[in-house]
Amino acid sequence: MTESPYWNPRHETMSRAEIEALQVRKLRKLLDWTEAQVPYHSKRLQDAGVTADSINSLDDLRRIPFMTREEWMDGQLEQPPYGPILAAPEESAIRYHLTSGTTGKTPIRVLDSMKDWEWIAEMWCYGFWGFGIRPGDTVFFAFSYGTFVGFWGAHYACEKMGCLVLPGGNMTTEGRVKQILDMNATVVCSTPTYALRMAQEARNLGIDLVNGPVKRLILSGEPAGSIPATKKLIEDQWGAKAGDTAGMTELGTIMMFECEQQPGGTHIIEDHYIEEVIDPQTGDPVAYGEPGERVVTSFGRGFIPVIRYRTRDLVLKIPAANCSCGRTFDIYEGGIRGRVDDMKLVRGTNVYPRAVEAIVREYDSIDEFQIHLYTAEGIRDEIEVLVEIPDPASDSDRIAAELQTSLSEAHEGLRFAVRQVDNESLPRFELKAKRVLDEREIAGGAGERKQA
Amino acid sequence: MQNAIGEELNGAQAELMECYATLARVLTDQREDLAPFEERNALKALGALWQVANGLDMDPGQVYHLGA
Repeated sequence: MTESPYWNPRHETMSRAEIEALQVRKLRKLLDWTEAQVPYHSKRLQDAGVTADSINSLDDLRRIPFMTREEWMDGQLEQPPYGPILAAPEESAIRYHLTSGTTGKTPIRVLDSMKDWEWIAEMWCYGFWGFGIRPGDTVFFAFSYGTFVGFWGAHYACEKMGCLVLPGGNMTTEGRVKQILDMNATVVCSTPTYALRMAQEARNLGIDLVNGPVKRLILSGEPAGSIPATKKLIEDQWGAKAGDTAGMTELGTIMMFECEQQPGGTHIIEDHYIEEVIDPQTGDPVAYGEPGERVVTSFGRGFIPVIRYRTRDLVLKIPAANCSCGRTFDIYEGGIRGRVDDMKLVRGTNVYPRAVEAIVREYDSIDEFQIHLYTAEGIRDEIEVLVEIPDPASDSDRIAAELQTSLSEAHEGLRFAVRQVDNESLPRFELKAKRVLDEREIAGGAGERKQA
Repeated sequence: MQNAIGEELNGAQAELMECYATLARVLTDQREDLAPFEERNALKALGALWQVANGLDMDPGQVYHLGA
């Protein structure tokens, strides 16, 4: 059985009818649990006239109201620190993680129990196993191991699978590249951008990665992992296969992964999630092959039930038959293609312009500002906030330093630059302000999809 | 032993499910007899075996009340 190409062979090869029957059964259980444990959700379900018993098919799912990130944040603000969405007592939790919020400094905070944490690793196992990683592989994590959930679950997945795990937190890029070589790592996990950065560092050090030990890269945190030319560039520079994954802190883990056949997209883990694709304007479902917004229902983390959560991710679903791997899990062609809102993804961290603005506006002395995103050294996303501080009596250096710290702290430690510019040099707006200037390039050549 | 959709588990799967049921029962009924190392390792094992039960469609429910 260990030679199976699938982590859960029975579930990953079920017929469509069997998958849907499984999802309906799990949805009923989820609603039953949620109604009993979370008054906030219970009221929402009651208001919509939905009970667990009334779910007979996936069509019934559409009777359940959407949940938005804004509602989640509002709930946290009204009932800090977690909001009214916990289904289990806080003392049952063993993990705390967060992601940057949509407004101001308040992050979205999540908790996991021991069983949930195992489940989070379990989802990563689907992805790692499906991409050909096996016991005996040596896996290096180019990851900072902070409160951002990132590759945490993947680390535990690799332990579970019997891989040798190399936790590469708190290291320089040079140190990471050297350790990958010294320890004969066969798998490297990072964002696409950082995979290119490490390859660049290897070239600077005169290290030949192509003929090195690394056979596979697991990418996450940015859409570029499914952009063909970017993926090819990474694969060429490493001499290794690169597989895309995508997850979110609200779920704690990944919900899709690229299999070893590399079908140009990511399989949805459909025995643990229902993934709907809707028209972001009308909320109506769209057909296979049409772009739309991801809406996720998760059967995994019972601590914080996630039911019909609007992700604002832009995706395009195609049938599983488009891949030759034998899985019956449908595919998001091109992975996550971008956003249907104004969120920016910078080195794996969500940045909402309105959250940046709320922090900048705490400084009365800043008259105007602009969020500038650009590509450094041809590969690395950078973010800087340009500020006008017209009053010469203001301590602009101190303000810039404080603002830099505040922005970083509100964004999982993401490095922001804050730069004072000449007064009246930034654009002014009479109507809808456009204070984001995104000049980033996608590595891989002309004609590539712009990053969200 | 059958799962929630009436499929028969094989012998190895059934034994794992018996382990899971035993762990859950001990943690429910005899917890006070367990030393810290016994209790906490049993909980961790329960969290891991829950994944097996879930993957086999045994509908294991939630185990937060046990501390897992």
